[in-house]
Amino acid sequence: MISNSLVLPIALPLLGALLVVALPRKMPILGALAALATTGSGLWVTAQTWLQADLGVVLGGWGLPLGIGLAADGLSAAFLAMSSLVGLGTSIYAIGYFAGSERCNHFWPLWFLLWASLNGVFLAADLFNLYVMLELLGLSAAALGALTGSRAAVEANLRYLLVGLLGSITYLLGVALLYAGYGTLDIGLLSERIQPSPLAAGALVLMVVGLALKAALFPMHFWLPPAHANAPAPVSAVLSALVVKTAFYLILRLWLDLFPAELSNAAAAFVLGVLGAGAVLWGSWRALRAERLKLLAAYSTVAQIGYLFLFFPLIQATPAGIARDDLIAACVLMALTHGFAKAGFFLAAGLVQQKAGHDRIDALGGTAQSMPATTFSIALAGSALIGLPPSGSFIAKWVMMRGAFEAGQWWWLIIISTGTLLAAAYIFRVLSRAFGQEPTPQCFLTDARAEIPALLLAFASVALLGLAAGPVWSLLGFQGAPA
Amino acid sequence: MNRDLSLLIGILVSLLALLLIWIFYTTLAADPGPRLAPLALEQLPNSGVSHPVTAVLLNYRAYDTLLELAVLLAAILGIWSLGPAPSGFQPAGPALTVLANWIVPLAIITGGYLLWVGGHAPGGAFQAGALLGSAGVILRLAGHERAGLPNEAAQRWLVVAGVGLFLLVGLLLAVFGAGFLTYPKASAKWLILLIETAATIAIGSTLAAAYVGGRPPLAQSTSAASKDLGA
Repeated sequence: MISNSLVLPIALPLLGALLVVALPRKMPILGALAALATTGSGLWVTAQTWLQADLGVVLGGWGLPLGIGLAADGLSAAFLAMSSLVGLGTSIYAIGYFAGSERCNHFWPLWFLLWASLNGVFLAADLFNLYVMLELLGLSAAALGALTGSRAAVEANLRYLLVGLLGSITYLLGVALLYAGYGTLDIGLLSERIQPSPLAAGALVLMVVGLALKAALFPMHFWLPPAHANAPAPVSAVLSALVVKTAFYLILRLWLDLFPAELSNAAAAFVLGVLGAGAVLWGSWRALRAERLKLLAAYSTVAQIGYLFLFFPLIQATPAGIARDDLIAACVLMALTHGFAKAGFFLAAGLVQQKAGHDRIDALGGTAQSMPATTFSIALAGSALIGLPPSGSFIAKWVMMRGAFEAGQWWWLIIISTGTLLAAAYIFRVLSRAFGQEPTPQCFLTDARAEIPALLLAFASVALLGLAAGPVWSLLGFQGAPA
Repeated sequence: MNRDLSLLIGILVSLLALLLIWIFYTTLAADPGPRLAPLALEQLPNSGVSHPVTAVLLNYRAYDTLLELAVLLAAILGIWSLGPAPSGFQPAGPALTVLANWIVPLAIITGGYLLWVGGHAPGGAFQAGALLGSAGVILRLAGHERAGLPNEAAQRWLVVAGVGLFLLVGLLLAVFGAGFLTYPKASAKWLILLIETAATIAIGSTLAAAYVGGRPPLAQSTSAASKDLGA
């Protein structure tokens, strides 16, 4: 029965999607209930994995390699917990954001399909099943992104859809090679059979390139800023915080669990690191130059994805042991912190945009100051994006810099510190508009239902993942957090 | 498109093709690895159907097929979110009307046959659904504004029918049976047929609705369409 609970984080949002399609009149209530159920099941699986052991089930009763496996280990559980909590916050926010709007009818079904595919990616143990999940993910994400209906949004998301398809097909080509060579699609079985060969190397390159295109790794990030900046706020939050992370999660999963060390070697890791460095510098620079708040947040996502790829050369160069475990945990912590912080940032930016009617940074002063809770959320999320203590990304960057010292790869330090400085510059550029223009407002919260989810998500990125980063280590099965 | 860009893409794709051919000759041509096909055929008598493709789609890898149906649902929801459907064509001339009157029932009957035959020969829900969808396309071309589909509320139920029944069977088996989508051997055949029937209806409705190309028109009004064209 416990292994069947692995299906619930995928089946419940799917059921929610079907119900809200069939019964459109009951949409917000059904949506809230299904969101609660989905979050509950996701956290339940995370708790099981954390407190007891890794979960696994092969559907259909056929066993491997004929059936499709689902599995939850610490890595999946950590990302599943993120998608559950960010998903719940976004859902609550969306009830208010779309209230009384025709778009509400289109948001909920597509969002639940997207949520099912997010959880499905994190729990899948089968390479072809992952392809199906990525298709569902890409299609529902592009449709959600175009919900504003503006020409710019439809154009950007059509491009996103096509780029996503190209990425999935490239990934599928790699999967086909692996199946042809080794006769199984299960990641566990495949990792036992796989040998360093031209076939495995070709598959590695194709799968990683396809996924990097979906993860918007520099210079394949061109589709991301317009698509994320033109979507409705709750959709932008989910796209930036969760959808991009699925492709990163898969690259990390393949790198750590599937491909032999002869293939995931120093040269391959260095290429990923260099692309990550390019993303950090270019994304931060463009964020600094952005004129609109949501465009700033989107370019900041490009930069933050870059940091995640900087971990690959360090993980590769560090011999197995506590130091390597620390790096892997820090990489996951960085991804989770960005997930919470960026979701909070986009939700808060959406409130500013709704109130002011635009999101041009230069003209936001008065609006930002009249919404203290929202501005506070932006500041909290911003401190996590910069990597200020006590946020989770501070610890992650600390471990990353220590790893770079110990691996003797000092050049990454320059990239990390330049990126951090640029991030501080673009965050303070936003915050500086929020002071000293109007009399101080009377109350902290102006619209509790919409502001509290944004505030909690931003708060989680700073306090939950920063002051209490230890659980991430124990969830991944590693010994204690670094002092 | 820019000529230089097309040239660059051409070069990249050729390099990729060369790489794949090289991989094929160095590894696969020398040693075609193990396959799952013998295992799939060996288990065929336990799967409830006698055609291996149907066994893979609806039994061994039923979870993938469930999600493929969800992909179709996402596609139609995406189309509906982009706005109302454009108005249909004018009513068909006498020749097309007669043709449609013959072809549409034939397509529906053939679809039913393909659905049934999928258990032991090539066929099944996707083929049958495609035929139903094409019947809808013909109806729309012949001037039927909603491509033969009912009103919006009913269409919503039709497009979720496939995933809905599939998921319900899966969850009921998880609660009362051996596990999610684990059919008992005795009832596998009938469960698969039930799921395939719902899937056929959902696929056919989804394809027809996708061809209409937007949210369903409110009322059935071929006369309104012809008035638009006349004006």
